[in-house]
Amino acid sequence: MENYPFSENSINSSIAFRSLVNATSYPGRTFQINKLNKPSVLSNAAATILITLCDNESNVYLSKEYNTDEVRNWLIFNTGAIISNKKNADFVIGTWKSLLPLNDFKIGVPEYPERSATLIIEETKYKKVKCNIDGPGIKNKLNIDLPNPELFIENNNLYPLGLDFYFTNDLEILSIPRSTKINIIKSEL
Amino acid sequence: MNEMSKNENLDIQIYNFAYLDENTKRMIRRALLKALCIPGYQVPFSSREMPMPYGWGTGGIQVTSACLIPKDILKVIDQGADDTTNAVSIRKFFQKTANVTVTEKTSDASLIQTRHRIPETKLKEKQILVYQVPIPEPLRFLEPRETETRKMHALSEYGLMYVKLYEDIAKHGHIETAYAYPVKTNGNYVTDPSPIPKFDNPKMNNSPAIQLFGAGREQRIYAIPPYTNVKSLDFEDYPFEAMKANFKCSICGSSDSYLDEIIVSDDGKRSYICSDTDYCKEQTKLNSKKED
Repeated sequence: MENYPFSENSINSSIAFRSLVNATSYPGRTFQINKLNKPSVLSNAAATILITLCDNESNVYLSKEYNTDEVRNWLIFNTGAIISNKKNADFVIGTWKSLLPLNDFKIGVPEYPERSATLIIEETKYKKVKCNIDGPGIKNKLNIDLPNPELFIENNNLYPLGLDFYFTNDLEILSIPRSTKINIIKSEL
Repeated sequence: MNEMSKNENLDIQIYNFAYLDENTKRMIRRALLKALCIPGYQVPFSSREMPMPYGWGTGGIQVTSACLIPKDILKVIDQGADDTTNAVSIRKFFQKTANVTVTEKTSDASLIQTRHRIPETKLKEKQILVYQVPIPEPLRFLEPRETETRKMHALSEYGLMYVKLYEDIAKHGHIETAYAYPVKTNGNYVTDPSPIPKFDNPKMNNSPAIQLFGAGREQRIYAIPPYTNVKSLDFEDYPFEAMKANFKCSICGSSDSYLDEIIVSDDGKRSYICSDTDYCKEQTKLNSKKED
């Protein structure tokens, strides 16, 4: 069984999902993800999101760095997900730069705001701006670093429509859902 | 059969962990995460047939099944009580299919499935409260068409709900709704809190815990993330009031917990006891310590 993403599928995926519930419920806080068998280019956290949530109804957009034979074969074999373009994607994976502009991703419609893309942002080597976040799930305002915060402000202005973000870094995950309000503190290089 | 149900390992092999299959869980999990991103919005999901009738918590049980982890400590309550039929059978169901530890203590539980009450003991961060919901659409009794209510939510057109509350005041002098009292979540969607007494409504506001709602027959999932503004609808001159029977619990003496009225004699003598059995036990313990 050592080639499967999870050693015990239903147990490992339930634990992974709990981390996702916690991350989504408490935006801006970091939660831990366990290791799994995955293509080397994907982080454990990003691979875990895909394996836990995707099936043959899920459209997945892979940005250039991730659109390799290894990732495609792994994802399709293990989940049956459909590799899609930006416009139809339910799940999006890529580095921050490679996913810009964000306008192409679906934000839902007023009657069905949940029909929107979930973006998984890999690697943290983007230009960071200190921000202060507030909103559902945040007890006291939190300070975090975000890339291009103006785009997150724009996204929050669309609420209840909009994109939902997960930032992944090896074994860590942090979420910024559409409901999170962002204030820019100051720009930094 | 008896031999089989005694063998825990065999039980686990008969069912997938926590009963539902992995594909169904994935579908529910995607709905739950979107529900957390859009507080109070009802996400449609393809509800499964569960081994119990509609109205017994088929929605709540599906949400619990999708959320449960082996380390969880599960508490199930029905109208606040741990020992009523619905609570006992759902608790047994997950003991059998997920082999999780169960408890009656609110403070020990990591996941609580509830029918029509919020525990009196304050909930903590990362505790999950799963509500069983019969009618998730707060506007349904005012507008039967789903296409219309969906549009009303999209446009935040909630005039009809305020008219209903106003008519209550015009007829009765106060807002009559005593349970399933509508709330506005995160300043946006009007949400049905499930048929909890309105006494419990303030506990939903800014709760540190994660609140998930499952309606099995109506095929809807919605959520209230922690630290979210949940406001009971009201008017400036008729502000919302959380109400309870103005008595003391005849077991523990508590005057601040929600009370059930029970008839104790043939000539109709009444008595009041805490609806939350765990809270009542805790208070009784505290009282006996004081006496010592």
